[in-house]
Amino acid sequence: MTVVTLLQTAAGGILTGGVYALVGIGLSLIFGVMRIVNFSHGEFMAVGMYTAFVLFRHLGLDPYGSLLVVIPAGTALGVAVERVLLAPIARAPEHTAILMTVGVGLILSNSLLFLFGAHPQTLLASYSTATVRLGPITLSFPLLVSFGLTVLVITALYLLLTRTDLGRAIRATAQNRDAAELQGVDTAWIRTAVFAIGTVLAMAAGVLLLPLLYVFPTVGSTFTLKAFVVTVLGGMGNVVGAIFGGLLLGLVESLGASFGATNYRDAIGLVAFLLVLLVRPAGLFGRSRV
Amino acid sequence: MTTASRMSRTGLPLLALAALAALLSAPTARAAPAGKPLQIGVITSLSGSFATFGGMEVAGYKVAVAEVNARGGVLGRPVELLIEDDASNQNAALAAAEKLVAGGVPLVLGAFASSITKPLAGYLTREKVPLLNSNSADVAITRPGSPWVFRVGQTTDSFADACFDLIRSLQGLKTVAILVSNDALGKSTANSVKEKVKALGYALVAEQAYDRGLTDFRPTLNAFKAAGPEIVALSSYEEDASTILRQAKEVNLSPRMFISVGATGYAIPQFITGAGDAAEYVLSASPWRPEGKYAGAKELYERLKAQLGSEPSHHAAKAYAGMIAAADAIRRAGSTDREAVRKALEGTKLQTAFGPVSFESFAGYRNQNPAPSLVIQVQDRKFVVVWPRNAASGAVRFPTPPWDKR
Repeated sequence: MTVVTLLQTAAGGILTGGVYALVGIGLSLIFGVMRIVNFSHGEFMAVGMYTAFVLFRHLGLDPYGSLLVVIPAGTALGVAVERVLLAPIARAPEHTAILMTVGVGLILSNSLLFLFGAHPQTLLASYSTATVRLGPITLSFPLLVSFGLTVLVITALYLLLTRTDLGRAIRATAQNRDAAELQGVDTAWIRTAVFAIGTVLAMAAGVLLLPLLYVFPTVGSTFTLKAFVVTVLGGMGNVVGAIFGGLLLGLVESLGASFGATNYRDAIGLVAFLLVLLVRPAGLFGRSRV
Repeated sequence: MTTASRMSRTGLPLLALAALAALLSAPTARAAPAGKPLQIGVITSLSGSFATFGGMEVAGYKVAVAEVNARGGVLGRPVELLIEDDASNQNAALAAAEKLVAGGVPLVLGAFASSITKPLAGYLTREKVPLLNSNSADVAITRPGSPWVFRVGQTTDSFADACFDLIRSLQGLKTVAILVSNDALGKSTANSVKEKVKALGYALVAEQAYDRGLTDFRPTLNAFKAAGPEIVALSSYEEDASTILRQAKEVNLSPRMFISVGATGYAIPQFITGAGDAAEYVLSASPWRPEGKYAGAKELYERLKAQLGSEPSHHAAKAYAGMIAAADAIRRAGSTDREAVRKALEGTKLQTAFGPVSFESFAGYRNQNPAPSLVIQVQDRKFVVVWPRNAASGAVRFPTPPWDKR
């Protein structure tokens, strides 16, 4: 393996990891604040992909431009799901919420199947196969764009969480819901807001992936799994941890698949995952709750 | 509240959701009953990851049924298809087969994917029901085969024959890398290629099988780049084919030739629309083309297109030939008795718009149609037949220019 191949593989891994991170952050944020493991996270991503796909196919809207539609749509969807389905069971045992999100996911993926059929569809934008050359290394243009947008989104989220009243209220709710309520935070509303943010992040990740991938109704399940690994790697509920978790997973998978056999790719990622958990049971950046 | 009642409280909505999901995810197609129709069983993939191909098969079967019925049906009865969806998985296919066998069909047509057809062939052999397959290319389905299993379509051996005849005619090529999907079709393709590599003195420099559902081929393609093969031999189903070529462009993997020995995902119109400019120059084995030499091929293409509402692939043509052979066998058997139909299938000698159909034993095969394969190439966003020479509609474009010189 030459240095160029190594660099090329590592660069590809980091860029892919950025997308994993974007999917993982939403899941981590929702868990951190709501204590809900959102099993429909990948399906929200698929909804985002199909939304952008339809806008491109029928209105000719650029996939990145469709973010302008997807973000408000995601907010509305997230608010609706939280208000109607999750808020009534906020105080119920944890597995109730798991069943609810699994159900939401099933309904979403099967609605997509009903509307669009099972066959995979590809969106071929003018820049889908464009590449950028950095010396001997070539990088995918849409992958670079999605990585850049991921960085932007993460920065915006970071500023929101650390610099605004809403962010402070979110963090307070995550630390202690009852105490936050006593300080005058409307925690029910905060939960709705967080779920909406998580939904928007998942749908935005779907939009960013669309020019690179193909879309089919059950595309979400693969990414739900990746998002779990990313979230647990970084420490459940830790947003910064999810970023590093995503980059790490992308890098390990990419290098592992390049050195070893392609069909052991997921195995390599999961072995690395188990090793991290052996050494740091709460994840790389997590603090043990016990 | 007891544990049991809590369980049922959370369990019921989940069950209801699962039932709803099953309802939404299992569309079945059925023709309206008319007179006393003769029902023929079909198992194919209407949902799941092979749905595009399943749709092609159904179009082929339907066009053939329309033709048979327009000529007065079989044994004086109109033919009707009992189409079962295998949801692109083996268990559903076996359940569907059980249902068809119990329903008394004279024979079963299907399935699409090799990995589904293999267990299906085993089951129907035990049940003594003829299985007539059109589109699975795994060699193992008819080699050694079974008295009850018949195949209209070509095998990966036939694909490899055509591909390597072309490769030898181009001269000077030596090194081969293989990238296939990790399933029955992929493994059979890899074996067929490796037999050729060994027999003809080529060098195998890399070999990888990837699990379906993989979306990032860059690490593998990078490793291939380091190995520097002149020929990259491929086999994939639909979505992977476009993704692999797009990512080969990304990582600048530039062999002198990309050739899909497994046909399938690289030989359908969706490959060109999915991979765009990255599809140019890619060669693929192909069982059939409408511009080919067989009488009625062009007309069949038009009928398939009308039935499908979009561009048909060779899979539809093979399914058509399968249905025509089935109707012919029942007609000659003079009954719907399964053993009589099996015997009649053995004596099949047909000329169809897909090409000649007969089921023969040769080179370890049993009940295999010895049809030759073509090689096609994407030239200016269109498939062009480039091999064999007597069937070619254009010259092969070789070598493939490096990505940065296009």
